[in-house]
Amino acid sequence: MPADATHRVPPLSDDRGDAAERRFLDWIEGYRPLPGIPDELFGPDGQPRPYWRRFLETLAAVPAEESERRFAAANRHIRDAGVTYRVYGEENDRSWPLGRIPLLIDEREWRGIAEGIAQRASLLEAILADVYGHGYLVADGALPAAAVTGSEDFLPEAHGIDPPGGRHLRIYAADIGRGPDGGWWVLADRTQAASGAGYALENRLVSSRAFPNLYNEMNVERLAPFFGAFRTGLTEAARRSDPRICLLTPGPFSQTYFEQAYLARYLGFLLVEGDDLIIHEGRLHVRTVAGLKRVDALWRRVDADFIDPLEFNSASRLGVPGLMQALRNGEVVVANMPGAGFVEGRALMGFLPALSQRLFGEDLKLPNIATWWCGQPRERAFVLDRLDDLAIAGAFDRSVPGLGSPAPVPGRSLTGAAREALVAAIERRPIDFVGQEVVRLSTMPVWEDGRLEPRPFVLRVYAAATADGWTVMPGGFCRVSSSPDARALSMGEGVQSADVWVLADKPVEITTLLPRSDAVKTRRIVGVLPSRAADNLFWLGRYLERAEATLRLVRCLCSSLIEADPAIHGTSPALERLERLLVAWGAVAPEQLGNPGAVATAALHGEANYGSAVALVRSARRTAARVRERLGSDAWRALTALAELLADDPHGLLTEAEAFDRADRALQWLGTLSGLAQENMNRVAGWPFIDIGRRIERGVVTCRFARQFAADDATVDDLDVLLDLVDSQITYRSRYIAGFALAPVRDMVALDPFNPRSVAFQVLRLRDHLAALPSLRADGLLEAPSRLGIALAAEMTTLEAEQLDVGRILAIEQRLLQLSEAIGSRYFLHGPGIARPEKLTGLA
Amino acid sequence: MIYDIRHLTTYSYEAPVGFARCTMRLIPTSSPGQKVLWSRLSITPAPSERRERVSFFGHVVVTVTIETPHSELSVEAHSRVDVDREGQMGLFLGRGWEDIRAEAFASNALSAASPAHYLYPSRLVSLDPAITAYAERSFTQGRPLLEAADDLTGRIKAEFAYDTKATAVSTPLKEAFEHRRGVCQDFAHIMIAGLRGLGLPAAYVSGYLRTVPPPGQKRLEGADATHAWVAVWAGSDLGWIGFDPTNNMRALNDHIDLATGRDYADISPVDGVILGAGDQDLDVKVDVVPVGAAGA
Repeated sequence: MPADATHRVPPLSDDRGDAAERRFLDWIEGYRPLPGIPDELFGPDGQPRPYWRRFLETLAAVPAEESERRFAAANRHIRDAGVTYRVYGEENDRSWPLGRIPLLIDEREWRGIAEGIAQRASLLEAILADVYGHGYLVADGALPAAAVTGSEDFLPEAHGIDPPGGRHLRIYAADIGRGPDGGWWVLADRTQAASGAGYALENRLVSSRAFPNLYNEMNVERLAPFFGAFRTGLTEAARRSDPRICLLTPGPFSQTYFEQAYLARYLGFLLVEGDDLIIHEGRLHVRTVAGLKRVDALWRRVDADFIDPLEFNSASRLGVPGLMQALRNGEVVVANMPGAGFVEGRALMGFLPALSQRLFGEDLKLPNIATWWCGQPRERAFVLDRLDDLAIAGAFDRSVPGLGSPAPVPGRSLTGAAREALVAAIERRPIDFVGQEVVRLSTMPVWEDGRLEPRPFVLRVYAAATADGWTVMPGGFCRVSSSPDARALSMGEGVQSADVWVLADKPVEITTLLPRSDAVKTRRIVGVLPSRAADNLFWLGRYLERAEATLRLVRCLCSSLIEADPAIHGTSPALERLERLLVAWGAVAPEQLGNPGAVATAALHGEANYGSAVALVRSARRTAARVRERLGSDAWRALTALAELLADDPHGLLTEAEAFDRADRALQWLGTLSGLAQENMNRVAGWPFIDIGRRIERGVVTCRFARQFAADDATVDDLDVLLDLVDSQITYRSRYIAGFALAPVRDMVALDPFNPRSVAFQVLRLRDHLAALPSLRADGLLEAPSRLGIALAAEMTTLEAEQLDVGRILAIEQRLLQLSEAIGSRYFLHGPGIARPEKLTGLA
Repeated sequence: MIYDIRHLTTYSYEAPVGFARCTMRLIPTSSPGQKVLWSRLSITPAPSERRERVSFFGHVVVTVTIETPHSELSVEAHSRVDVDREGQMGLFLGRGWEDIRAEAFASNALSAASPAHYLYPSRLVSLDPAITAYAERSFTQGRPLLEAADDLTGRIKAEFAYDTKATAVSTPLKEAFEHRRGVCQDFAHIMIAGLRGLGLPAAYVSGYLRTVPPPGQKRLEGADATHAWVAVWAGSDLGWIGFDPTNNMRALNDHIDLATGRDYADISPVDGVILGAGDQDLDVKVDVVPVGAAGA
């Protein structure tokens, strides 16, 4: 037994201890590292490394079945919390696979990695400062100009800009792997908009939840201090003491949108899209419901080319027109600076060892894979000479002739015509190519059907800039191939991720992102609500309420059918009205009428019908996805459960009883959702807009119900259905013993300010919400929405049921829609959007 | 030769525009071979904010914000430029093109004039094997660069049809190449793609031609609008030399540079975002008149 025996977990009982020992030995004996490739679990001596042994022994002490359950629970959490990445063009999010075994790295080895990463980040910063500044490196011949200009991320227009806050790089990432010599190597640098830090955080949450004891016993370094350092770095760089920081996302179609929303919430940044931002009087502002608010720092996850249509890609809608000028004026801190991306280029890698010597007088502590840029005659000759031993790749991040893939291609794999074509391409434009050492990545164990299998992996590590230098995240985002083949380790098919545990010698200090209490001023109005977020919250409320109306119609239809006398089945005028409403709603297509079961099924599950419950809930979920950082995970889970319930295709027609049951369960979820919104969402941070959306929609829907079922010729059946739809049967019966009469029913449905489902109740709530929203008027006069709301509330309060007829109800409905319009144009982004001149010039 | 240049651009909008933020590259700058005597740019309606800077590539960029609702935006650029490229006439044809290519690859300059900026594909100029092969026929082994570039200029003039209906600003260059027709912008982009495909630095130049030709000469294509041609890097000794494939000529004293960039996207005369709905119309008028004794 090696020296770590003292760490062994004592066996619980002889039986369990034996079983644990057997499991452990099975894993170890069944594990076959690939020949000639270093492995994480097995050291160079052919023995399991001590910390891996300790980990696996502890894991083996958990009975197989319990282990299975714990993994399953963790996986469920991933799905429920919406830890997903979007495969571009797909309608739905896809669950994101987290492997069960974390990558383990001990502290001593990690220290070397962290020092190397910090050194490399400093080196890249120095290169950026020189290339966009004095240009000594190029002028002195240390770096050929064409090795810089070939990158699409080299931005001439950024030349001469002093980065506000003093740095080009604030967050840096590198992909590293263990090479054949056992040391760690840098495979790629990420300086543009590195993704994955949020996944690392989420993976940690899941793995520590699945195995809390194991996690604590292994002394795993925490991730929170890293994120704290990143935030502090940005805060210190901004000029104001309490700066407003935004995360600029390309939007929900971005592959890593979830991650961005998650990080924004975790770090307390405002998640914004390009349309939310505007340069006003030379400074960056966010459009909010309280007007334009100054932005001090921006973490951009939008590539530089799209960041400012006035200077770069003029077709971009993702950026902010004029941002570069604001940077020239020194008005906003941007992480990372536009233009920082060019140091990602492979061509640069070949020069880094010499540049490190020149700039710092140091060797690289963490070497990168040896790289030769073919733009230089000697290097080109070398690469062509040793084609069989090297991998060939594009020198920059674009595809090049002669190579099928953007990833490095082993020269050896090319023969005949393909090889000749490549050589010709290199000779024609050598500046487009590099030769690189062929890397064989080390393997780590992954869990497969109860066994451990060696699989190649790439580890992405992160560093954040602070006033005191670089802080490296102890851990990272590890991507593991699901086959022994290391190629295509991008986030494509057949790849899973693993948590990364850096193991300290001593128990680690527990920190979270909480700052010291004396560092935070108490404040009750938190931040501001961007107009776009308000818009989405409003529509989330409207979609949810509309879905509720469809579900109530279905439930009412089914219960009437169940209770109805078979002799008059389907012929009651009230039933016909219900069905007509569903058609008018778009929940049911006219040709689906006739069979009540078909009507109910279509209204619940008809994907093609825009007003069906499934379509409306899907719209609600899509809208919610755009404000995911503002919704609690409980609300998101409830919405996901609701969407899944309705997406569950019944394959055929439901019976009345089945449809009733489904509608009823869906309504329960909606009730849960409104409860969550009511109870849990911070009242200042957007809840009013969900509620405004719901109130508008409920008011409009109730007007429509009343026009259908409380017309002058309404029957007792009609009034019965109406009270059912608006959930007021019990109240009515307790109030009026005599039975149904038109005026009292109208009063209860439309005018009763104490009935939470009446139109008047919605109007009064709307009036109160609007009064509480920020005003942009300096003259103290009312804004348009409030003016409409107060007038309508006054009318509804003074109206009497005897004056109310169908025409009057229709007029109220229309005024609610006007109010909705007024809210839209006051609080949300402007309607027509920002258009661009299409024909820009007359050319001869 | 001194020219008086008026360049009037008018956008008419179907629905009023409430907000516009535009960049304008309409003011010529002095460069080797030309001197700007004076210039002014007037914009109606008057911008609420106006900023002027010199871009990395050396041209003047005026950025304006207009907050007055308007149905018409008119921009008038007026300038006087003295052009003298006598020095470029009758140049010795110089070194072979492969030599110049090797010098460009090894460049140790990052200034706007450095060949390194003009070697790679750019936003509107992707490299296409067919276009490279087309250009390669002019670039036989060891041929002097200027001779080969003259030859390519002549072939484009001879083999492509000038057709204002064939393409728009957004037409990909591959399409114009395959149909062998287009306007000055297409010809310039095609020639640039061919040269860069061979590893030679080539830049896009926008500018003007004199409107009325000297007595007895034919009016040039593109004389009543903005024009575009190609600058080819001929080594650090000769620098950048202009070639006009639309007219099969070198860009000399009939050509006035407005701006130089990697392609049209770097230097489009007016770019911007507006807040408004509906269609728009564009009208451009250009007058280039020689001043004084040599004037028409």
